Amino acid sequence: MMTTNRATRRATLIGLSTLPWTLRGALAAPKAGGTLTFMQNNEPQTLVALTTVATPALTVSAKVTEGLLEYDYDIKPRAQLATEWTISPDGKTYTFKLRPNVKFHDGKPFTSADVAYSIQLLKTIHPRGRNTFANVSEVKTPDPLMVILELSKPAPYLIKALTAAEAPMMPRHIYEGTDPLANPNGNAPIGTGPYKFKEWARGSHIIYERNPDYWDKSLPYVDRIVCKFLPDPGARSIAFENGSADIGYRTPVALSDLERLKKLPNLRFETKGTSYSYNVSSLQFNLDSPIFKNLKVRQAIAHTIDRAAIIKTVCYGYGTVTYSPIAPGLKEFHDPSPSPYNLDLKKAAQLLDEAGYPVGANKIRFRVPLDYNPIGDESKRLAEFMRATLGRVGIGVDIRAADASAFVKRIYTDRDFDFLLNGHSNLFDPTVGVQRIYWSKNFKKGVPFSNASDYNNPKVDALLEGAAVEIDPAKRIAMFMEFQKIVGQELPDVSLYSPLYLTIKNVRVHDDSLTADGVEGNMSRVYLDPQ
Amino acid sequence: MRMYRRIGATLKRTAIHAGPTILGIIVLDFLLLQLVPGDAADMIASESGSATAESMAAIRQRFGLDQSVLNQLLNFLGHLAQGDLGFSPRYNMSVFDMIMTRLPGTLLLMATALSLALLLGIIVGSVMAAWAGRWPDRVLSVVVLVFYSMPGFWVGLMAVVLFSVNLGWLPSDGSMTVGANLTGWAFVWDRLSHLILPALALASFFIAVYARLTRAAMLEVQRQDFMRTAAAKGLHPFFIQLHHALRNALIPVTTVAGMHLGNLLGGAVVVETLFGWPGMGRLALEAVLARDFSVLLGVLLLSSFLVILANAAIDLLHAWLDPRIGPA
Amino acid sequence: MTVVTPLTDVGSRTIRRDRKLRAFLRNPTFVAGVVILGIFVLLALFADVLFPTDPLDMVGPPVLWPGQDAEFPLGTDSLGRDVLAGLVHGARASLLVGVAAAAIGLAIGMVVGATAGFFGGRVDALLMRVVELFQTTPTFLLVVVIVAIGEPTVRVIALAIGLASWPTVARLVRAQFRSLRESDFVMAARSLGYSNLRIIVQEILPNALPPVIVAASVMIANAILTEAGLSFLNMRDPNLVSWGGMIGAGRDLLRTAWFLTALPGVAIALAVLSLNLVGDGLNEILNPRSDP
Repeated sequence: MMTTNRATRRATLIGLSTLPWTLRGALAAPKAGGTLTFMQNNEPQTLVALTTVATPALTVSAKVTEGLLEYDYDIKPRAQLATEWTISPDGKTYTFKLRPNVKFHDGKPFTSADVAYSIQLLKTIHPRGRNTFANVSEVKTPDPLMVILELSKPAPYLIKALTAAEAPMMPRHIYEGTDPLANPNGNAPIGTGPYKFKEWARGSHIIYERNPDYWDKSLPYVDRIVCKFLPDPGARSIAFENGSADIGYRTPVALSDLERLKKLPNLRFETKGTSYSYNVSSLQFNLDSPIFKNLKVRQAIAHTIDRAAIIKTVCYGYGTVTYSPIAPGLKEFHDPSPSPYNLDLKKAAQLLDEAGYPVGANKIRFRVPLDYNPIGDESKRLAEFMRATLGRVGIGVDIRAADASAFVKRIYTDRDFDFLLNGHSNLFDPTVGVQRIYWSKNFKKGVPFSNASDYNNPKVDALLEGAAVEIDPAKRIAMFMEFQKIVGQELPDVSLYSPLYLTIKNVRVHDDSLTADGVEGNMSRVYLDPQ
Repeated sequence: MRMYRRIGATLKRTAIHAGPTILGIIVLDFLLLQLVPGDAADMIASESGSATAESMAAIRQRFGLDQSVLNQLLNFLGHLAQGDLGFSPRYNMSVFDMIMTRLPGTLLLMATALSLALLLGIIVGSVMAAWAGRWPDRVLSVVVLVFYSMPGFWVGLMAVVLFSVNLGWLPSDGSMTVGANLTGWAFVWDRLSHLILPALALASFFIAVYARLTRAAMLEVQRQDFMRTAAAKGLHPFFIQLHHALRNALIPVTTVAGMHLGNLLGGAVVVETLFGWPGMGRLALEAVLARDFSVLLGVLLLSSFLVILANAAIDLLHAWLDPRIGPA
Repeated sequence: MTVVTPLTDVGSRTIRRDRKLRAFLRNPTFVAGVVILGIFVLLALFADVLFPTDPLDMVGPPVLWPGQDAEFPLGTDSLGRDVLAGLVHGARASLLVGVAAAAIGLAIGMVVGATAGFFGGRVDALLMRVVELFQTTPTFLLVVVIVAIGEPTVRVIALAIGLASWPTVARLVRAQFRSLRESDFVMAARSLGYSNLRIIVQEILPNALPPVIVAASVMIANAILTEAGLSFLNMRDPNLVSWGGMIGAGRDLLRTAWFLTALPGVAIALAVLSLNLVGDGLNEILNPRSDP
């Protein structure tokens, strides 16, 4: 086995079993006991992130159902259910050694058969699994504690995809032979995790209790995790204030309220634990629309966008400007160079004139509807900001509202739009999160969050397809860099910003966000100050 | 004896009426829901922020969305004929179980709000009628009208700011303190303290309606002959008010209250969302957004039942209040 | 019961109404209602004159309190939009939705109610079934579903509210028609050979109107309240300012800038109050129950 060496282009990764995680001073030794109250915006419809990766489900899934690995803030892997892992030099064989003596909550042992079964399951019904595990041609289980993945082609992103919420390890003995979509395990899950499912009072709360037989005997510390759902952001603020909620993530309160909440002595604001899934907000064009098929119009719009102002007014400062669809958080791949289209309203006006849209009688050149993804509170404000911005160069914007299903149908099935404000998660790797937007082969009607623009550039396709199987890190980065330059020029969309999500917690909560996915992880190490 | 005959007649009439009505509701609502753009698979995909053609197809197949509309309707009706409300693939539970998780919350909230509204409304209305034309009546009229005009959820919001945030007397959300395992009086008080603000928000509008109705009906009744007879008989004015006037005034009030029962479910939607109250109103709204029609039809069906039952109950109540009212 | 006015008695009817009108102009609450409503209507009509810039434009620093800055007497919201301009333009949107929804509800309700009440028999039974159908569906949910079918625009919202609220009018009109169709003047008109349509529209309808007019004011009020509720749940027209929309937008800042929810709520309450006062007054004028 060759040791890790960035200079040499061959990388074989050796995982090691649990290292001491945090440098905890002798002062703050974790105390056992207590109940952690987790505040969610919405109720999940299932408790295992197998058939869905909706945020409410992601929040709770890993507490019970674990994954092979977990990751530090830079998405470097660490052990969870797998203790060692190696990747062959050609990148086509992954070998995992599993942790011994791990049991499911019903006492049955966790073995390689469960891993093999789970991967098959993920390939078929997980929203991303088919693509993430596409290159896995065979899963071999030579012994109960070893799993070997044989790939048809290298998949440099795969080793990052194995966190509990993204690739949950399901109990084969419960799912085999049943319809996984209908299996009641989704409502009362059994897993290997630090918390056991206790009860789900629909509309109200979920209760998880400490697993006394967890594979790490010293963990977990808290006795219970209670999840509450509050759809109203104002009510959530109040819950944090009066202590009826201990922790919530993805900025669970209105951004406008953060200033005030930050002054309260009983709350802490955590930025770590948000690196597994960076989001990028963008203005996507329908390249088949008569207005936006014209590059000059798109360039004009790019010249009007003041990203700094967006961060200030729409995000209240909680965001980072990005000119590229690859989020600034993915530091190795992100191209920080600014857009070739700077903020210049005169240039915008000139380009619009050239494109054949002179200013009309009432100072309007043309009217166009703007759709926006209704999920998330900022998108509506962003739409209003866009309307004001584009109004200044004479583009009359009519904002069109729709609920989530109608929105998806209009954009992806009917393609009845001109341009829209959308957000995509980069996820843990650009191949998984970004390629789907620009790859011409992912222009699929009826598939949400695919190539909405109908962008088709063979050069970009080649770069993306190359990066998907390139195991040489430097070459891969170079491909993504070139990709960013091209789309930055051609403007199938305009990337705007990457929101900064905060985890809000009560002062008595500690060690909640120790991994890249923060509170979406299994939270086995969280502890509370005694009351 | 006459009472039993009345009850029997009412029930029979209700049953005959109810069947076709409910069938009509189901078909109408089902067809209406087909017009809503997007389906359950679209919703699940949008929540996930990701999808593949295969995952969409799998979800559609699971929900039965790949079948023709007629087939879906027939399936639903077929299940219903066997007393089965159907299955919600989204929540992976039977619709009946799903509704049962929310029904107690709704009934509690609605019953409390309605009782509160009736009690306060009738009291205020009686006071207004007793002092008709003089300043207590005028002042109360304005107050009542103001409550009638304020959106219930706004009243709720302001109440939360005052009682929950500033004074800290009452909780701001939920139906109980979760995971506290309270028993006895502590449990009752905990539930009550969570119930007060949402019930008040919901009731505020109706208090005004019943107050005005009571006042109008009592004033009407006072002018009629039998009241003068009662006064001539030497009955104490207060007793006259209470027994005769109030009893007659209750008829329009209960009629209207019955009409409100159906709307209470819908009106509770906003209040339940604001307070995070686990109720059917919120469930119905979530079902519309998620395009989970099995749950939505179940809720609509149930609410129709409630309304029909309520109307039947009110018919009987009227008969008790005013024996002159024969079977309609 | 309405006053059944014989065709020949026009003169005394006018005198009686004038006397009543004068009496009620002395009724302070009715007058107050008319005045307040009048102010709102004027604001709605002249919104563009008073506040020519688009109320959705971001014109000032965000979250200014009322009285903090003379340029924005009622403050600004989280995106720096003028609250006063929003309230005035909002009057237009809210009243528009209210009136349109009530008009649609009245139109459908009157047609259905008149037909059912006049013809009776099987037509009546069928139409009443339809009415029952609509009445047992929770109104708010029906509105939500109809808005989901279309898009959240003022037009669709008004249509949805109108479609959900016609049953009450239908019942009212039907009751009126049932009692009026046996009256003498109807028999007289029939013996003169008038067609059914003429009888309905020319003879019965004018006499059936009084409670409907009262109901109209209540319907407008309810429509405004329903629209506020919809906006609170984020089903509002994103291109217009409406009071309900302002409450919804201000909800996030409930703790720090509660005036953003309070002020539009007060506006709604005042508008609805004025409509109710007017409705009450009209009820007293037109309803002969209060005849001396």
